[in-house]
Amino acid sequence: MTRRPNLAARICVYAALIVLVAIVLYPVMLVCKKAFEPGPNFALSASPVPHAVTLGHFRTLFGARGSGGELMFLRHTLNSVVISLATTAVGVALSCTAAYALSRFSFPGRKTGLTTFLVVQMFPATLLLLPLYVILDKLGLLNSVTGLVLVYSTTAIPFCVWTLKGYFDTLPRELEEAARIDGASPWLIFRRIILPLARPGIAITALFSFMTAWNEFIMASTFMTDESRFTLPVLIQSSVGQYSADWGLFAAGAVVTSLPVMVAFYVLQKYLVGGLTAGAVKG
Amino acid sequence: MTIYSQLRDLAFAAVIALAIASAAFVSARDKDVAERQLALANRSAAALAAGQAAIAAHGGLVGPALASPAHPFLKHRAIREPGGAWQPLHDKLIYDAATRFDRDHASGWLLADGTGRAIAVVPHGDELAIAVTDPAKPAPYPLLVMIGVLGLALALAAAGALAGHRALGTFAGVAALAVPPLLWSSWLAASAIALVAAGLALAQRRGLTDQLADGMRRHRTAVGFVAPAAIAMVVLVVAPFVIGLVLGFYDHHQGTWTFVGIDNFAEILSGGGRALDDPLNFWFILGVTVLWTVCNIALHVTIGVVLALVLSRSWLRGKGVFRMLLILPWAIPNYITALIWKGMFQGEYGAINSLLHALGVSGVSWFSSWATAFSANVITNTWLGFPFMMVVALGALETIPKELYEAASVDGANAWQRLRHITLPHLRPALGPAVALGSIWTFNMFNVIYLVSGGKPGDSTNILVTDAYRWAFERGDRYGMAAAYATIIFAILLLWTVFGTRIVRAKGADA
Repeated sequence: MTRRPNLAARICVYAALIVLVAIVLYPVMLVCKKAFEPGPNFALSASPVPHAVTLGHFRTLFGARGSGGELMFLRHTLNSVVISLATTAVGVALSCTAAYALSRFSFPGRKTGLTTFLVVQMFPATLLLLPLYVILDKLGLLNSVTGLVLVYSTTAIPFCVWTLKGYFDTLPRELEEAARIDGASPWLIFRRIILPLARPGIAITALFSFMTAWNEFIMASTFMTDESRFTLPVLIQSSVGQYSADWGLFAAGAVVTSLPVMVAFYVLQKYLVGGLTAGAVKG
Repeated sequence: MTIYSQLRDLAFAAVIALAIASAAFVSARDKDVAERQLALANRSAAALAAGQAAIAAHGGLVGPALASPAHPFLKHRAIREPGGAWQPLHDKLIYDAATRFDRDHASGWLLADGTGRAIAVVPHGDELAIAVTDPAKPAPYPLLVMIGVLGLALALAAAGALAGHRALGTFAGVAALAVPPLLWSSWLAASAIALVAAGLALAQRRGLTDQLADGMRRHRTAVGFVAPAAIAMVVLVVAPFVIGLVLGFYDHHQGTWTFVGIDNFAEILSGGGRALDDPLNFWFILGVTVLWTVCNIALHVTIGVVLALVLSRSWLRGKGVFRMLLILPWAIPNYITALIWKGMFQGEYGAINSLLHALGVSGVSWFSSWATAFSANVITNTWLGFPFMMVVALGALETIPKELYEAASVDGANAWQRLRHITLPHLRPALGPAVALGSIWTFNMFNVIYLVSGGKPGDSTNILVTDAYRWAFERGDRYGMAAAYATIIFAILLLWTVFGTRIVRAKGADA
């Protein structure tokens, strides 16, 4: 479409791109380096190549034991997995039918409902942090998995509703109409036709929902103060706390915790962009 | 049929009224328990001071705080029964009570541990008579009273329907539920219930309840489908939100809430008597927040769009690889990114300063001045945020028909004119919503501020959300203040979404 610029200009563009890529990669490489380099200090040299290689940080991370002799990292991983899975389950289960109704039926309050879900999804959950803290404190749900799942559901449900609604909008309506003519009830149509068709959309929504909960930090660190209830983000942040910073441990933890979600992100990223902006455009 | 719809309306209002009445009961009961326990504690302490045994409480006469001979910084106290011998005081509750009395002469209060125990202190010479009551047994919920009143309400409503005065019947029925709160002298709850009753009666008169029920019946499939998510949202989002709004009007101190009207809002919005450049002044923080948002969005959009334009050149090789590498920051959980950059900015020997040294520039102490600390935050967030804008811009560029460029070339438009008149106008519709969304995210980018600069130096780089958090959890549990802050932030965001994004979008639409 456009003319090919001359060689010098092209070399400049490539050079600029490579410098940018280097800036993007540098912090990541530093962390990877630190994960394998002995010693607790972060970067005494700016070089992204380790001066010695050790698996000591990983050994410390996996081998740390609590007061009862249990493996703490296993514990925190389990907390994170259980909380993220439960949040995803709650989010998807409660929002499937609502997303379908918002996509297909016309009823009074539909527009208000859509706007509410959008606003709640866009606005930060930190605005609800204080009332949620006071309520969970009254109910005795601080430091409890149930409490944090309820807190995460406040964002997971609107997110799932919007993403799934976007997906249902793309499904053809002919099958449903045919089924309706044959006398199928809306519930039957939803269960037998829509749900099977929407499986990929539901899977993607569930994965995003899982990743959001997996990566959440401030709520977890506020609501889970008992060390045995930490999730992985809280553990990682506490390893570089105010008084004792062990950057080696941090780096090892960061690598282990973020690798799975990064892989998932790369697989799913093309769906994410569509969903996010679609919500904003139509709202 | 009338009876059926009458009972339906009554049931709806009765649920609300019962919730209000129950809340009134709990609060009246707690207040009653507190009063009784405090009186008991006071009587007990007075008895101890008069040399008698404590009544239904434990405690004793506590001596003044004395420095321990071996450790001059450690204080200890002794305690004795009236007429008994001195013993070392080990009860932390009693020790703390004595200290609190010495400090601010508080003579009696309820323990904040939910057991309903009260403590009282009465000075007796240079000793303190201190009594701690036993845990209180709260009165049981008056189930029978409630059932009785409900029955009365039912009868009244049904009678009204049969007599042809539906609205009157429901009003009387629901208002009957206001009687128990009246008995507990909860005027607020009683009038709230009366309001509900009046509102329902009015709605009924105008046929609104029948319309609503009819609408629900007609759209019952939709209602059924939406119900799970809707109910969850009401319980998990709307209820906490309303509670947050209400808490903004209270002050929280050591477990007790006091109604203070609009004091919190007044303190925040007036700057609380602090100078305009005081980091705790709301307007200062708002300024920082807006500057933070504008800087970030400008950088994200500029870098993102430029990169997208470069990556969409047809002659560029390795596009896929570049794109994949450049979105890496988006893939990393943002709390990890923030912590990495915090480490890189840290101290004399952090990675950034080492790089600066290598370039012959002397190192910067990043978190000791406002400008550098703020820049550190912006650098981190730019690294983190430009991929989103880049990806959005790339997507939008793909949708521009190639014929437009060809036609423009034929007409003799140069590269700048093509960019100005074809590319940028086509980018706007996609970038508008992305900027709207990105501005809200950045305005509330808690993790970067909290983890990178942590507000340093001296709280001056906080943004609104992190400052609200600090009021709640790092400045003496000022929950009311934090709730008021959250309300104000919400109002700002709402104004921005309603008006601001309209501007952004309108620009996109007419381009």
